[in-house]
Amino acid sequence: MLVVLSLSIISLDLNGRTHGITSGLKSVANSVFSPLRGAVDDVIDPIGDFFAGAVHYGALQSENQKLAATVGQLRQEQAERGFEQSQLRNVMALQNLPFLDALSTVTAQTQEIYTSNFTMTITIDKGRADGVDVGMPVVGAGGLVGQVIQSFHHTAVVQLITDGQSEVGVSFGQGLSLTGTVDGQGPDSSMTADLIAPHAALTKGEKMYTSSLDAAAFPPGIPVARVKSFHTGAGASQEAVSVTPIANLTQLAYVDVVVWEPPA
Amino acid sequence: MSARATLRMALVALLLLLLQSTVLLSVRFEGVHPDIVWLLPIMAALLAGPETGAIVGFWSGLAFDLVLPTPFGLSALVGSLLGFSMGVATAAVDRRAVWLRPVAAVVGSVAADMLFAVLGAIFGQQQMVQIDFFSLFLVVAVSSALLVLPVNRLMRWALSAEGNRRSLVSASSAESGRW
Repeated sequence: MLVVLSLSIISLDLNGRTHGITSGLKSVANSVFSPLRGAVDDVIDPIGDFFAGAVHYGALQSENQKLAATVGQLRQEQAERGFEQSQLRNVMALQNLPFLDALSTVTAQTQEIYTSNFTMTITIDKGRADGVDVGMPVVGAGGLVGQVIQSFHHTAVVQLITDGQSEVGVSFGQGLSLTGTVDGQGPDSSMTADLIAPHAALTKGEKMYTSSLDAAAFPPGIPVARVKSFHTGAGASQEAVSVTPIANLTQLAYVDVVVWEPPA
Repeated sequence: MSARATLRMALVALLLLLLQSTVLLSVRFEGVHPDIVWLLPIMAALLAGPETGAIVGFWSGLAFDLVLPTPFGLSALVGSLLGFSMGVATAAVDRRAVWLRPVAAVVGSVAADMLFAVLGAIFGQQQMVQIDFFSLFLVVAVSSALLVLPVNRLMRWALSAEGNRRSLVSASSAESGRW
């Protein structure tokens, strides 16, 4: 009987028409549970930080030096990126598409990373009450981080682009004329770019941006991934392309939710 | 289960849920963290038999499902199957044996995680089988072996509201016979 009951609940959750019931339950539970979890974190975190600081003092010093070097490198990249941004803005304007700069964002702090061993998700401290809703893109650490898949009153769950369920439509190449999709392959695999014609004009390190195709699941122009390697197999119907996320997914303490909903 | 035992079980489940979503999330090896949820039905099955194991597995799984991004009801399904199977599988074993709890915790937790991933993939979550199973099993096995004793103490306290421990064990043997 419990098995039948469990299967019925799963069916309710997976059915688009009744998903609202289970989603509502999760939302109520999150509203009750989040303050409790926050209180426990407030007590535990300083103790953990104290011991981590005491044990890893040398490593922290070395990390500080690395961070200082990274800041210098980022300043240089920022200066160079101005030119790329202006080019991208021009391309977007030519295609009559909105540029990301024009969209408002909600800055959120990451509460939890990978709550389950089976999904690549993060939980952020902003939810419906802050204007964050399901489907909104999340950016940070240099590019697209993921998309909101669950939104509760004061928290939301973001599926990272490396999750096996993630699929992002991208544009790349001269004038962003080529398209494809970037698919997550799970935590230990490199991401792939699919639906790219054989012998497409690709270069190693080339950036891919969200496209306005793919039923507009994302606003166009957000940097998604960089080409790592590519080759065309004999008789293959598409190019085999391996890519790496542009956003540094190990540095997700703060992210920005882009207030943009996919058209119905 | 009596109302008192149910209330105690709810408290234990809440405590472990808090532990899972705070302390245990920061204990990672190769990006994998311990999964404590499966210890509840395993210990319930060892202390009170397959029926109690299944009930505890269902409700504790459902509670964990509320805060997980995986399909709602999946942990409840795996928890009830785990609790029942563990109760049946250990029915013929002397449940006072020292080795039983750690072995049951390790084998049960690893099997439950495997079932969770496979069922998740069957329900359309393909990414659930695209993980490093070796690291997952290693972390879950080691953490379950380490955490089994404190969880066992908590479960004894929760289920002691049903009567004294000896009567629970004998009741579970009779119950296993019925199943």
